[in-house]
Amino acid sequence: MEPAIVACGLTKVYKEGPVGPVEVHAVGGVDITVNEGELIGLFGPSGSGKTTLLSMLGCILRPTGGSLEVFGNDVIAIPEDEMPWIRKRYISFIFQGFNLFPALTAFENVMLVLELRKVPPDDAARRAEQLIAEVGLAERSSFLPRDLSGGQKQRVAIARALAADSPIIIADEPTGNLDHSNGVHIMRLLRALASDRRKSVIVATHDSRTQGMFDRILFMEDGEIFGQKEMVK
Amino acid sequence: MFHIALRILTYDKVRSLITLLGVVFAVTLIFSQIGIYLGLMQASSVLIDNTPGDIWVTSKNSRNFDFAHPIPEYMYYHALGTPGVEWAEKLIVAWNVIQQKDGSTEQIEVIGFNPDTGIGGPWRMKAGEPGAVKNGNFAIVDESATRRLGKIGIGDYKDVNRKRIQIVGISEGVRSFTTAPLVFTSYNLAQRLGGYISPDSTVFIIVKKLPGYSVREVVASLQQRLSGVDVFTKEDFSFRTRMYWTIETGVGFSFLLTIIISFLVGMLIVGQTIYNSTVEHLKEFGTMKALGAENRDIYQIIFAQAILNALIGYVASLVITLVSVKLYDMTGMTMVVSWQVNLMTLVLTMVMCLLAAVISIRKIRRIDPAILFRG
Repeated sequence: MEPAIVACGLTKVYKEGPVGPVEVHAVGGVDITVNEGELIGLFGPSGSGKTTLLSMLGCILRPTGGSLEVFGNDVIAIPEDEMPWIRKRYISFIFQGFNLFPALTAFENVMLVLELRKVPPDDAARRAEQLIAEVGLAERSSFLPRDLSGGQKQRVAIARALAADSPIIIADEPTGNLDHSNGVHIMRLLRALASDRRKSVIVATHDSRTQGMFDRILFMEDGEIFGQKEMVK
Repeated sequence: MFHIALRILTYDKVRSLITLLGVVFAVTLIFSQIGIYLGLMQASSVLIDNTPGDIWVTSKNSRNFDFAHPIPEYMYYHALGTPGVEWAEKLIVAWNVIQQKDGSTEQIEVIGFNPDTGIGGPWRMKAGEPGAVKNGNFAIVDESATRRLGKIGIGDYKDVNRKRIQIVGISEGVRSFTTAPLVFTSYNLAQRLGGYISPDSTVFIIVKKLPGYSVREVVASLQQRLSGVDVFTKEDFSFRTRMYWTIETGVGFSFLLTIIISFLVGMLIVGQTIYNSTVEHLKEFGTMKALGAENRDIYQIIFAQAILNALIGYVASLVITLVSVKLYDMTGMTMVVSWQVNLMTLVLTMVMCLLAAVISIRKIRRIDPAILFRG
């Protein structure tokens, strides 16, 4: 079976500095393979390069070195104007800050993704309602984000990610703004996405209490993966 | 994407209201400046535009209607005898002084026309008939003159250049750009009122072409036949008069300047608001990009916000302007709000708001993906 993501020697070097360009190695030579239906945890302290790595794996940040394939597509070789297509076809995101449109209801936030994919309006509405129900928010689908709790917002974000029906889901600290019970609930939803829907889910997190839910855990520091652990089910 | 733009605008009501007020302020200014300018220009050539005939013969290098010099009266007969001319008519436009009851004086613009044909005379009467100025020291005064000359009624007497004249009619809507009251008299009386018009001179000759001749053809014939004068089509002379007041007096420039400033102010207000809104929604827009939206999808939302601001602001400004037209009319001024003005202002409003949105577009192009991952 073809892996979802294959990255070899993935590197990101920023050239910046107030005086002159200074090279900052945010990620240096990371090798990673993500398989279908796998839930991977990416652990590491702040500044370890988790976000940069996720940005590259999610095709929103161009690597400066190495190779990256998403379902066999050589991302490095793809021109910039075709990157939205790759993301639209293969990748969804869940963010720590939810990033929901405050002016749109939960239902509309999910609909937006379907509209971007030119799904016919009736089908889109049906699908959005179904997804909102799946994350347990059927009765709050007409609520604006400001009227939802942090856990509920993150569930809307998950429904939004599911709306895209992408085979890869990248989640950055999805439980970072949530209390423990809501965090566990969200992690269970992500676990189910991997197990039941065969999604490849990569989660960057600090929360060591969730370790048991992952198939595999990668540890990152100073832009490099220094260890990994297969979790026994 | 239009509905998202609408939702963003309705979500932040206070900010949207402030933006709309800015647009309304700017667009109302643009509307009024264009309207007043056109009203003034309309007034500057109102007599030319409302006088029948196709061609105007004027003194050499005559630059406008109000300050034309006298020409020999015999030119009239030369014009009449020119091939392609159906009829010709003489018209005097002269500056005179009217004496008020309190001893003060006012400058007036006397229009001497042929009361038998009415050509060059008032075209809308409130009281009396244009032909009433015939055979005597009679005059018609426009109702707008009451602001300068005080209350005037039929049968009243006024002294013009020490000649006692009786008012026999009141016209309406006959206002001059110069704001000097227009006083219509018979051609003969205008010649006798003295001043710089001698008894053997006229100021204009108005010509009507015969059917089957083109106006340009007759203009060319008149130019060949009459020496020492200018010959214009009615439209050319009207345009020449308007351009004189627009360019020579700086009126046009000052109006243009106000329109430009209003445009820029509006653009800044809308631009700043849309920019702020874009910056505030940068994460959401970035998320859209992460979820596969192309830049143009997000541009649509931003431009839709600009278009909504423009349309709502425009409609509100139009309503305010239509109310202002009545107020302007009451002050004796004219504000022209024609469909052309409406269309021009709509286009300006759209351009103003869309240009304002361009500033935000730059921001979208350069969204740093890192912001998506900040909590």
